[in-house]
Parts: sequence; C-alpha cells; structure tokens
Amino acid sequence: MQEEALGWVIRTRDPDFVDWEAFTLWLEGDPARADAYDALMAADTELDMIIPPEPVAMPVAANDPGQPQRWTWRWVGGGAIAAALVAAVSIGMMNRADIYTVTTRPGETQTIALKDGTRIDVNGGTTLRLDRNDTRFAALDSGEAAFTVRHDEANPFRVTVGDAVFEDAGTVFNIVHSGGATRIGVSEGKVIYNPEAQAISLPAGRALADDAQGLRVMDVAPAAVASWRQGRLVYANAAVSEISEDIGRSLGVKLTATPGAQAMRFTGTIRLDKDPARFFAGAAPLMGLRAIRTGDSWVLKEGNGPQS
Amino acid sequence: MATGLSELFMANRAALLRFLRARGAGENAEDMIQDMWMKLEAKDIGPVADPLPYLYRMANNLMLDRYRSATRRERREQDWAEGAGGVMADPADDMPVDERLILNQTLDEAREVLRALGPRVELVFRRFRIEGVGQRAIADELGVSLTTVEKDLQKAYRVMIALKQKMDTA
Repeated sequence: MQEEALGWVIRTRDPDFVDWEAFTLWLEGDPARADAYDALMAADTELDMIIPPEPVAMPVAANDPGQPQRWTWRWVGGGAIAAALVAAVSIGMMNRADIYTVTTRPGETQTIALKDGTRIDVNGGTTLRLDRNDTRFAALDSGEAAFTVRHDEANPFRVTVGDAVFEDAGTVFNIVHSGGATRIGVSEGKVIYNPEAQAISLPAGRALADDAQGLRVMDVAPAAVASWRQGRLVYANAAVSEISEDIGRSLGVKLTATPGAQAMRFTGTIRLDKDPARFFAGAAPLMGLRAIRTGDSWVLKEGNGPQS
Repeated sequence: MATGLSELFMANRAALLRFLRARGAGENAEDMIQDMWMKLEAKDIGPVADPLPYLYRMANNLMLDRYRSATRRERREQDWAEGAGGVMADPADDMPVDERLILNQTLDEAREVLRALGPRVELVFRRFRIEGVGQRAIADELGVSLTTVEKDLQKAYRVMIALKQKMDTA
C-alpha cells in the first residue's frame, strides 16, 4: 500500500493532475489508505530541507546528435518563452556603416536571430555590436549574452570581448563581460579562446574566467550555462560579488554587496523573480545573506541564513 | 466569486463530499464543504483554467492542512511532556548545532543516493519536486516516455523518503 500511496502522492502533486475520481475510488478501498497518503504527503513537504542545492549536470556530448542534444535544444526552447520579457533595443549607427549596436536596459532581455541561423540571447544591461555584412561577427562590449551558433567549419563564428576572441566550433555558449572581468561557459560543442594566441580549447562543460586573479579554466555544469534564459541563475562555488552583478543585470535593480558579503561563495540555483522584494526574500537567505532595501537600490549583507 | 465556479461547485457537491469522506474527513466532511463554499464566496478567484480539478485540489489541501496541524499539535504536546517545550522555540531561530550536524550528514547522504540513481533520475526529480514542472512537460523536454518519468520519480521519491524517515528516527 505504501507503494500505491507514493504513486498517488506523485500523481496528485503534478500540477496537471485531473483524475480525482480515480483517486477517490482508491481511497475508498481501505480507510488506512488516506492515512498512508497523508503521512507521505507530510514527508514530501519536509523533503525540501534535505534536497541538496547542487544543480545536476547532464552529460552533453559535443558532437553527438543523439538524445542529450535534443534535450538541450528543447530546454532552450522552453526557456526562450520564460525569458520573453519586453526588451527595448536601441539601434545606433557606429563609425562603420555595417556595424550596429544592440543595447538592453537592466532587467530587459532580447533575442536576436541572425540570418545564418545563429541565435543570440541578450541579457539585461548589455551592449553588443553586430555587423550587417558579416553575420559571423559579434563584439560584446559589456554585459551578458548567450550564443547558439550555427556551425560553419569554413567560416567560424567569432565573438570579440575587449582584446580577447572566442571562436566557435559548433556551439552553445554564454559570455559575461563586466568591470574588466570576462567569464565564458560552454554548454555544447566547443569554443576556442584566442585562436591566434593561447588557443585554449573549451569543450562543453568547461568555463574560462579572465579577471583580477588572471586567466583560469574550470568546470561548469552545461545545464548551468546561460540558465538566466530559463529564469534561473545556477552557481557552483561562485563569489557573491559575481552573483550580485548577475542579479542586477537580470532583474534591473541597483544592487551592491558589503565587502564581507562579496567575499562569500555560493553553490546552488536561484530562481529569478521580477518582484525584487519577493525575489530577495527567497534568494538572500539561500545565499546566507540578508538583503536590505535603501531607496530604489538593494544591499546584500552577511546574515544568519540557513546556508552559512 | 465566478458564477461558473459556484454552479460547478453545487453540481459537484456530492462528489466532493464523497472525496472528503474518502480522504478521512468523517463527520467533518459536511463542515468542510461549507468551509470551501465560504472560501469560494469570500474571494474573487477569477477564471480558473480547469475548474473541477481546482475544486478537488482545494478540498485535498484542506485535508492536508488538517493533518499537518494535528501532527504539529501532537509534537508540541510531546515536546512539552519531555520538558523540552518550556520555552516555545521560534521555528525561524537557528537550529541547534547537533541538529545542523545531522542535517548536513543527511544532505551528504541525499547527494550520494541521488547521484547513484543517475543524472536523468536526479534531473527529473528536481524539475518535478523543486521547480514544480509537470511530468508530461518533463517527458517532452527529455524526449523520453511519460512512463519513464513516472518510474524515475518513484525511484527518487522512494530513496528520499526513506532517508527522511531515517533522519527522523535518528
């Protein structure tokens, strides 16, 4: 009966469950079933505290056209709807006639489809330059963007970030550039960092950071790359200073962190919410921090959250 | 309240009553139906996508609340009897060191058992349990059958609930 009751717990917990008549019939079969169901539902509620916060990494083979890839694409598709916020795009002419600039305000996102089939998801607070005559070029001046590139061996897609160049090799990747630091995460395929210089190869599941601490290569969960498009931010041992920048960009709020808070690190998933008060009420304790509102901006401070 | 919903409520009153009785409401079933009616009257719920399941879910939630407050009362009385309840602890307070230790151990164990089930099972469980995504949607996302998702969830739930029970009796 425990097994059956568990089955009903799972079924009734599904947001799309409709077969309440069948559930009624099952319950009527034995009065003890309702008790078993109640006890398991209560246990289910308490599971929250024992589910570890780490995100799961689904192994994504770089050039495998099989199931994992299909999964990634489907997820990206669903996320695009979730991230469908209205974005204001200002298109201004630059020095060269063929270059144009895409700018998003903090909290706004924009999806750009290039003629060659490449898609760029632009997060808030971002400035990106593109070339009308060359769809294989993009320059990320500041902010964050996720690139889903249609690979062309003969003509690779290149993103320049400051002096650095990232060249695709059949790829989905995300780049953040702010305050002199650059971070890239690769979720599918491969990216070559500075092909003419260091030529560091970054396969799916690898990330590169170039900041005050120098150039570093590390692991990243492919599912965590560009998770902002699904309304979530996913981190593994990330500095709060970095996270607060991501939050500010994604929500469009002014956010600072005290030095003590900046030095802290966080592992887990933060769900974005357009209502800042509601967002911080949930997200700050998750990071072991407190969020304090001052006027129209927010400050993250060290706190006694459940995850210190 | 939306008139459509009130009509539906009246039309299905007997079925909802039967459900509440089956759920163990006993002689309180009539009162609970009355409660539901008042709640529906009190707030302007607006259009509901799938109104009959909505009413059933509301009834089910009432029963879950009832169960929860009953067990909480039991626990509090027990704490009191054991002399630990002299000062009513605020649940928001930081937990004692030993409890935190147990929790951390349990988190480590949970991490291991979930990992042992494989990445797909863990992903399915997290999407369902933490993010509240329906099984159909998860199956579509992963390109697997609904049965696979159901089985994955059963597996994950079984180990997690076993772990929870072990923690409670520790």
